[in-house]
Amino acid sequence: MQNFLAKNGPIISTYFLIAISFWIIFLIIIPQIYMLDLSFRPNLPPLLRGGEEDVYTLTHYKHFLFGSETSKDAYNFVDLNVFFKTLATAVVITVLSLFFCYPIAFYIAKVAEHKTARFLIVSLIVPFWINELLRAFALRILFAGEGVINNALLNAGLMDNAINFIGQDVALFTGLTYAYLLLMMFPLYNALESLDTNQLEAAKDLGSSTLRTHWRIVIPHAKAGIASGSTMVFMLTAGALATPVVLSSPNTFWFTQLIYQWFNMNDNWSRGAAYSVLLLLVSVIFVLLMMKIFRIKVGEIVK
Amino acid sequence: MSADVELQNISINFGDFYAAKNVSVMINKGEFFSFLGPSGCGKTTILRTISGFLEPSQGQVLIGGKNMAGIGPNKRPTSLIFQNLALFPLMSVADNISFSLEVRGHSKANRRARAEELLDLVALEGQGDKKVHELSGGQRQRVAIARALAIEPEVLLLDEPLSALDLKLRQKMRSELRAIQKRVGITFIYITHDQGEALTMSDRVAVMNEGRIEQVDTCQAVYEQPKTPFVASFVGENNPFHGKITACKNNLVEVSCDGNKFVADIGKIDCELSKKLTAGKKIILFVRPESISIKNNKTKTQNSFTAKLDSVEFEGHLQNLFLTTGSGMKVRLSVPNTEEISHLNVGQSMDFTFAAQNAVILPEGNLAVD
Amino acid sequence: MKSHHALKLLLGIYIFVFFAYLFGPLIIMSVTAFNSAEFPAVTPWECFSWRWFTDGKVTYDGQRLAGLMADTKLHDGILTSLQIALGVVLLSVPIGMAAAIVLTQLNSKIRTLFYSVAIMPVLFPGVVIGISTVVLWDRIASMTGGGAMTDIGRNGVFLTILAQTCFISTYCFLIFVARLQRFDKTQEEAALDLGASQTQVFVKILMPYLMPAIASSAVIAFLYSFENYNTTVFSILSDQTLTTVIASKVRLGISPAISALALVIIAITLTAAISYEVLKRREERRLTKIRQMQLHQTMPSDRLKQNQKTSFKLPKSMFLILLSCFGVIAGGNYLATNNLYGEKCILAADEAKKSNFADQLKLLQQNIGNEVTTSPQSGTTTGSQEFNNIFGDPNLFKNFGGFDSKTEK
Repeated sequence: MQNFLAKNGPIISTYFLIAISFWIIFLIIIPQIYMLDLSFRPNLPPLLRGGEEDVYTLTHYKHFLFGSETSKDAYNFVDLNVFFKTLATAVVITVLSLFFCYPIAFYIAKVAEHKTARFLIVSLIVPFWINELLRAFALRILFAGEGVINNALLNAGLMDNAINFIGQDVALFTGLTYAYLLLMMFPLYNALESLDTNQLEAAKDLGSSTLRTHWRIVIPHAKAGIASGSTMVFMLTAGALATPVVLSSPNTFWFTQLIYQWFNMNDNWSRGAAYSVLLLLVSVIFVLLMMKIFRIKVGEIVK
Repeated sequence: MSADVELQNISINFGDFYAAKNVSVMINKGEFFSFLGPSGCGKTTILRTISGFLEPSQGQVLIGGKNMAGIGPNKRPTSLIFQNLALFPLMSVADNISFSLEVRGHSKANRRARAEELLDLVALEGQGDKKVHELSGGQRQRVAIARALAIEPEVLLLDEPLSALDLKLRQKMRSELRAIQKRVGITFIYITHDQGEALTMSDRVAVMNEGRIEQVDTCQAVYEQPKTPFVASFVGENNPFHGKITACKNNLVEVSCDGNKFVADIGKIDCELSKKLTAGKKIILFVRPESISIKNNKTKTQNSFTAKLDSVEFEGHLQNLFLTTGSGMKVRLSVPNTEEISHLNVGQSMDFTFAAQNAVILPEGNLAVD
Repeated sequence: MKSHHALKLLLGIYIFVFFAYLFGPLIIMSVTAFNSAEFPAVTPWECFSWRWFTDGKVTYDGQRLAGLMADTKLHDGILTSLQIALGVVLLSVPIGMAAAIVLTQLNSKIRTLFYSVAIMPVLFPGVVIGISTVVLWDRIASMTGGGAMTDIGRNGVFLTILAQTCFISTYCFLIFVARLQRFDKTQEEAALDLGASQTQVFVKILMPYLMPAIASSAVIAFLYSFENYNTTVFSILSDQTLTTVIASKVRLGISPAISALALVIIAITLTAAISYEVLKRREERRLTKIRQMQLHQTMPSDRLKQNQKTSFKLPKSMFLILLSCFGVIAGGNYLATNNLYGEKCILAADEAKKSNFADQLKLLQQNIGNEVTTSPQSGTTTGSQEFNNIFGDPNLFKNFGGFDSKTEK
């Protein structure tokens, strides 16, 4: 500590200490702790908070699992359904992103000429500078009941009735895959770029088929990029709110929308907090899992 | 204004590792003093301790008689020239030079004037507005020197500043540095592993090995009267004959080395050392390559030995002959290139001689590793 | 090799499809911005119109569909977004800088821990950060019971600035860390040795070096803050930012004004991207020129100078530009010849809709055989039950736009 003060002088040390402790303690740690705390408290009107009724309780988590006391079902099928559907869909979307992005990333990193590669990279980035909401709206315009796709199909006489893309998950699914594609693309591209092209040529020279080369040489090398991309895509997809708000329908609800509902519409902040904690847990567990499986460190995940 | 620097029993350790152990030396004011030693001998650590970047674990640093304990590098009357120069790339040459004045609040006019003065001193007139990356290696050296001298420090510390330069430039800079030092008159403390540098520039030299000072002396003394086997083998080339003392007679010591009987004149070495030289003691007898000659009928010296000629090497002004004695020891002998040696054959066995005065006897100890 | 060619062809098709998937929706959306129809559509094309950029339209059931210029809610949202972005930049950049510098001063054990903690916010879902900020400050506000603290603690702008700073600081942090990695520490030592105090070292040596990082992290912080939704929607409470206004249109009604907005943003983004590329290329050329000049200083040969003449190449983008010019001309021609543009077209379309509506109503009258008031804006307080049913039937008003027909469960 003394060294720190000596190294930076009094003014700068103060600035450093204030800035960093404000950030870490006040903005990162305490809010999460408080949210966790709130999730264990009953939903009380402001006057009763801190009073006698404010005890620790598992009622919100119980509600998530078992539903309200008046329901006849054994479990809270609605909420649980949404929860697991969100997770499962996120996993599927992550895997699909990986498959979609891999050929392109490989092409840009290894096959394309330098100028083409640069042009492709820039043109990949541009759509993602457009706000996620607007991109979701673009898809909504395409998929809506009287949207572009339906209009085209009806006018061409190929169908009689409009397809309900939105009600049938298609719109949301497409939207979510669309939204975070770039976050899979770039870690993959970076990882693949660092692969020595000579290795590929050596493999071909030794008689390896394209498939085998990829499986045995390219993919192990890109391991860190795959892990990083998958983690980011999964987390952002599971925690997505913008795209579901625009593209979902009542039967394709996303878990984050559930949180939103508890928070803003039902005004039950503690329950919203509890559901938030669940989402946070899922994210943390996934990150740790990826780190364990791929044997990478936290620092490698984030760009 | 220059000051003397005194190191009193300095030890610097990081856990179990001692970078410097019991280093004590008095550097006089106005002197060009060098710390010479192989990499890792502790000379950089000593320099950083003098300049204030490192506090010694034990002992004091006194500059001008004042204890520097607890005084940071920005408050000491020292200036350090780093090995990589550490010039500020985003500033112009003039701004680099006048930086020390800038941080002390001097006016712009003042700074400009002083920068011009120093640019003249280091022969870089008119280059003030250039950016650092536009200069050559030698020019950057001079900017570093000018920058360090701007605030007129009492001691200038130089950390192997010439190591990145090519030979010709290095030689040129050596004389320039010496000239600047004489002109400015402040104490220069110079560290290097190149003994040619140390010997040509310094008034006195401290030879260091593994954190300890082996010898502090003038260049001549360090070369001709080394006090330890390390110094004898590190400074210049030397041939170490291992053996035992057989007899001590006044100033002459008889030794037996691998079957050879040699005599050495120890008249010039100090009393401390001569006390250690008793019969039966294990010693190393050092003879410089230039002190060995091929035996011919004209020479009459007490010492001679037989060896086989392995190879001859031409080194410009010198010719080096590499020999192997009967007992397998490698000996090196150099003669000026004017001497005729074409009649010698490789593989030929010959006799060689050296004078007793040119033999240095030292107690057995560690030699410098090649 | 045949298989090699086939593979390359497949890859080419795949890339084309991929980019079509990426750009398609955006291009289509941009086109719909110019269609005067009330729901964004390409077919049927009503009229070419700029209305959605300007004042919009009032529909028959009284709903006001504002164009970009007229949408005051949108304007307020943009202003709030700007305020928040400014606040976020002012907080995140110093925080990120401090954290990055301190990181370099830590020993390896604490270092990994500190780094992991600094990265955490990016791994939290945005909604979690928003919620946690709100609940904490709500508690603080209620604890201090009235007064300035309560007002601040429940202020949407304040809360959003804090919530966004939480994770945007991490992005700034990463940028500074990258820049600091190549910093030569001996410069700091040299400055100290020359007599500078620590503060002077920071201000005169470190900050100038970090300037590019300060600039880029400020830009990144601004952009990330401006376009954030997940966190903002929870922390903004009663205020609105640009993103929450856009999101609210899902409920309030989708009109091509959204497409217009998207097109404006796309245009701005493209302009920014192109100018950035151009500036970057110019900077690169300038640097190579300096390097070549330096070479010439040490090597006075004239042979190198001759190589500097580069041949004038036709940029490949010329073809793209020509193609789009052609498209614009052809499209304009088509519009003009088919009278799909201008006041006349819009009036004609409106007439068509009115008569369509009148027809529908006549059909109703025939079917029900009741006396009906023809004003579409009349309430349903009188009349029989069937009356209510009819006006409650969404399919009747399908062609009149205004709100997206909600698909039923």
